[in-house]
Amino acid sequence: MTRYLIRRLLQALLLLAAVSVLLFALMQAAPGDYLSEQRLAGHMSPEAMQALRAKYGLDQTFAVRYFRWIASLSHGELGYSVSYNEPALQLLLPRVRNTLLLTLPALLISWFIGVPLGVLAASRRGGWLDRIFAAGNGFLLALPDVLLCLIALLIALKTQRFPAGGMSSPDLSDAAATVRMKDLIWHLWLPVAVLVIGALAPIMLHVRSSVAEVMDSTYFRAAEGHGLRPFTLLFRHALPAAANPLISLFGLSIAFLLSTSLVVEVILSWPGLGPMLLEAVMARDVFVVLGSVVFSTLFLVAGNFFADVLLYVFDPRIRVQS
Amino acid sequence: MRASSKLQWAAGFLVVLHVVVIFAGFIAPYNYRSQDRLHPFAPPTRVHLADCSGKMHLRPFVYGLKDSDQGFGNYVEDCSQPLPLRFFVQGDEYSLLGMFHPTLHLFGVDAPAQVNVLGSDGFGRDQFSRLLYGGQVSLFAGLLAALLALSGALVVGSISGLYGGFTDDALMRLAEIAVAVPSFYLLLAVRSLLPLRTGPVVAFLLVVCIIGFLSWARPARLVRGVVLSGRERNFVLAARGFGASRSYLLRRHLMPMTFPVMITQMVVLVPQFILAEVLLSFLGLGISEPFPSWGNMLAYAQQYHILISYSWMLAPGLVLLPVILAYHVLADALQEKLQLTA
Amino acid sequence: MLGLSIDYLSWRGQRISALRNVSMELPAGKVLGVLGESGSGKSTLSRAILQLLPANAEVSSGSIGFHQDKDLLSLTRQQMRAIRGAGIALISQEPALALNPVLTIGQQISDVLRAHRSVSKQEAMQQTTAMLREVGFPEPDRLLQAYPHQLSGGQRQRAAIAQALICRPDLLIADEPLSALDTITQVEILEVLHKLKDELGLAVIFITQNAWAISGLADELVVMRDGGVVAVGKFEELARSTDEYVRGLIFPEKSFQNQVSKPLQRAEPGSAPLLRVQQLSKKFLQRHLFSGKKFAVQALRGISFEIPEGSTIAIIGRSGSGKSTLARCIAGFEKADEGGVLVHGAPVRGPQPHVQLIFQDAGTALNPSFTAEELISEPMEIAGQGTARERRERVLSLMREVGLDPESARRHAGEFSGGQKQRLALARALATNPALLILDESLSGLDLLLQAKMLKLLLDLQKSHGLSYLHICHDLNFIGLFANEVIVMDEGRVVERVTPAELPSSTQPATRALMDAGSRLHAPGLEAVL
Repeated sequence: MTRYLIRRLLQALLLLAAVSVLLFALMQAAPGDYLSEQRLAGHMSPEAMQALRAKYGLDQTFAVRYFRWIASLSHGELGYSVSYNEPALQLLLPRVRNTLLLTLPALLISWFIGVPLGVLAASRRGGWLDRIFAAGNGFLLALPDVLLCLIALLIALKTQRFPAGGMSSPDLSDAAATVRMKDLIWHLWLPVAVLVIGALAPIMLHVRSSVAEVMDSTYFRAAEGHGLRPFTLLFRHALPAAANPLISLFGLSIAFLLSTSLVVEVILSWPGLGPMLLEAVMARDVFVVLGSVVFSTLFLVAGNFFADVLLYVFDPRIRVQS
Repeated sequence: MRASSKLQWAAGFLVVLHVVVIFAGFIAPYNYRSQDRLHPFAPPTRVHLADCSGKMHLRPFVYGLKDSDQGFGNYVEDCSQPLPLRFFVQGDEYSLLGMFHPTLHLFGVDAPAQVNVLGSDGFGRDQFSRLLYGGQVSLFAGLLAALLALSGALVVGSISGLYGGFTDDALMRLAEIAVAVPSFYLLLAVRSLLPLRTGPVVAFLLVVCIIGFLSWARPARLVRGVVLSGRERNFVLAARGFGASRSYLLRRHLMPMTFPVMITQMVVLVPQFILAEVLLSFLGLGISEPFPSWGNMLAYAQQYHILISYSWMLAPGLVLLPVILAYHVLADALQEKLQLTA
Repeated sequence: MLGLSIDYLSWRGQRISALRNVSMELPAGKVLGVLGESGSGKSTLSRAILQLLPANAEVSSGSIGFHQDKDLLSLTRQQMRAIRGAGIALISQEPALALNPVLTIGQQISDVLRAHRSVSKQEAMQQTTAMLREVGFPEPDRLLQAYPHQLSGGQRQRAAIAQALICRPDLLIADEPLSALDTITQVEILEVLHKLKDELGLAVIFITQNAWAISGLADELVVMRDGGVVAVGKFEELARSTDEYVRGLIFPEKSFQNQVSKPLQRAEPGSAPLLRVQQLSKKFLQRHLFSGKKFAVQALRGISFEIPEGSTIAIIGRSGSGKSTLARCIAGFEKADEGGVLVHGAPVRGPQPHVQLIFQDAGTALNPSFTAEELISEPMEIAGQGTARERRERVLSLMREVGLDPESARRHAGEFSGGQKQRLALARALATNPALLILDESLSGLDLLLQAKMLKLLLDLQKSHGLSYLHICHDLNFIGLFANEVIVMDEGRVVERVTPAELPSSTQPATRALMDAGSRLHAPGLEAVL
């Protein structure tokens, strides 16, 4: 019964571990590090360099450094940011929270809208509504995220109705919790809208095509032949049967949203993981880069695991063995 | 019928576009780096037939710009000097296909006026010319990266599917890891390992290689799937029954089977990779100034005052729309066509 | 139904006529059999009655009356929906695909009831349980919570029948309900239908290719060809018909017997065996499709037999008895766990040219992008035999030999019909100069008439090429004419090995079950030749 879920969880953890080892190896293989960039700038004597290398453990073997890095998680560090002079985890955690604040609502809203619209399009296959949806989706799919963000920013600047960036208004730090909450939601509007618009088209298209596929199946035709009502047919018979690939897509859409979110955060100055990663890349702040990527992987792996759990709940072929 | 006419339109548009950007030097009136520092953010030049006094001219002409009273950056047309729009004019030297260095341009006007079809940027560089040059980077980066990713995918996928067993397991675990990291985060992480400031050619190759090398996993899984299921097809079993070797099976049966997947993947991946290059350059991690890419050109639009006042600075973003749309239409039409023949 | 004509609009805008001026009548409580070869428009008919035609179909004339006053074609969508399931019900061809995989059997059957009758959930479940018992499930309560993937093919078809009849419709349309089942299950389903028809006073339109299967059930038969009705009458009347098409459908073996004149050349006892199978065992380690749990399936348990040179051995058994695994092991595609296969005394370690397997569905064994010539010359090319010119000549002579027009050598595999594809596969196998051909249900995809023709060809080739055959099948059609000996398999074991003449007197239960099913479903002539 739950063996399936335990196996999936172990697989997810193993995958995460493998990714972290490979990423760590990749980052270590890089020619030059933060310190050598400093030396290039001519700030440091070789002796001071050596001392610093020893301090940061850069003179140890790969395995030792990897396990030190992982072990530092136990006291809340996950490596050390050289440019901020702070443990990487301390820097990353608030950023991770902010990114989730953006992506989770976007995830839920886009699926909440996308599924019924997709089913509707499938049930009107070939009709005018389906064609309008198809044209709209074609346009949305071709709209680059960068452009969408810039347009959103332009709207915010021109109309002055939405904040043009950031996640809170200044001078609100001592205001009541409800006021700050409202302010946060006001700031969330635009970036979440951009994310939803970006994610909606692929969701709708996939829902439409898998429901349409079910509608072509023998069992759907048979159910139609038994005179079931259209609503029962679509939502009780077709949608659950079509859900399998959609649930996998649900897991994957988290990754998709994360990539879009990076652009949104940079352009709309949302203090999430994206701008932090970008800054760290520019500054060669290895552990912050590593940490950001590992966190993004964690989201994706967690999303896929969540999809596995949903599959287990929804698909009797997994739950009930013959 | 409809699928094939869609296919022709989309493919036709893309071919024309690629030819245009290859001949960017000839079609663009200016070089990508020639500046007109006196006229930053010049609006798109108007082409007139009637002059300020209302007199009609036979030849279309433009006016030069002079600063208006409202301050720097606001321009009015200088009515004193109409300058006709000329075709096949001499201008900046450019390089064509890396071999020729002609100076002939499709169109242009005499100094002191400028013809800026899509306005100019903060350095007074012609936005239209830079857009064409930028297309060389952005369009071909996507194409080359897709070729790279697909050749990798074909090799890995065929080996994995054909040999199976341990080789297959190892390669597919690796692919699983490669797709477990959100692609753009991985792209940035790998980018951070490589030198940040490089020449345009090196930067271009870096971007192409990073995108290409990091994206083999998904198409490789598809190719493996085709080869693996193909290996179990009865006609492949039959050929094995006649004593066929692995290389024969691959050449005569399995490779041709991967062809539809390869071609549709190509059309699906190219627009993704075009966007990846644009994004990298937009974030300052791809092609850097002065050489234009649609990404680094669009980066200027991030600044609030530019975004609000100079809408033509969004052109590099807008031009992406028909390009990606064309690729999507092509992908759809191809899939439809392949399904019909299958 | 009066003068019904239906056209399909192809995607190129051409009109393809599916039904031409079809009229038939069915009184309440009677059974009408609709007989015809594939492509004769039978399925379009069933979809037209329920108004479930695809979007590109167009009714150009005619009417369908149901209960005197209604013309179904003029009803609104809502009215039609009220008739579907409640007045007219449908059971379709493939039981494996006719039930929704993610809903329980109980949900699916009670949904139909609740769509037409205002009953509470509990009542619906009670009626569903009662219905399931009627179609012959001894423990219907357990079945309510079961999902389709937990049932066998026959059980699914019975569940589908329960679903169709839960609202007590007046008319049941059964669209080839037997074709995807093995012979023994076919008989079971026929019995269920017969019983329910009597109990519920049901009228049935029974669409099938097999006249004998419904000879006891149908009050009247309609024979269709190319979208039109060619004959109407009782089974006995049709059996006396002189029309060649009708006779071919009812007595496929007649056209066959006349052509085979010479008796088979029997192998001399004591001659060295061509094939020797020794204690062959094979286990498959399978993973459950979704849960990933591993489990072992024992496909073969110590199989031993021999085939003398120049003879034909038939292996029969239900589906799942291990026949196909045996075929693949002998052909060298599968490695046995224990035991071995010897051809001409040498052990088989992999695929080899002189043992060739002819696959069940010839279409899948031919690369669709190859032309007929490329296909047939492939074995010679792989073996590096001859020049391109010599190969071409060989291809053309082989095509002539199997009865294919050499003119069609440049056509692609997909452009040939099912029977022609089987001939292509045969020609290709002959190109290797094989000693043994394994026919893995090679004929079961063809209708009886084509099977007969194919067997005739195989017998001719056996004589001219000195071939041996291992004929694997799940029914007894033509076995007496074709095989020297019959091996009956069940659950991975050889149950018995007899001559065809000894089959009827066998006491083995597995053999008996196959014999009984065969006699219920097939022309008596087929048994007569045993």
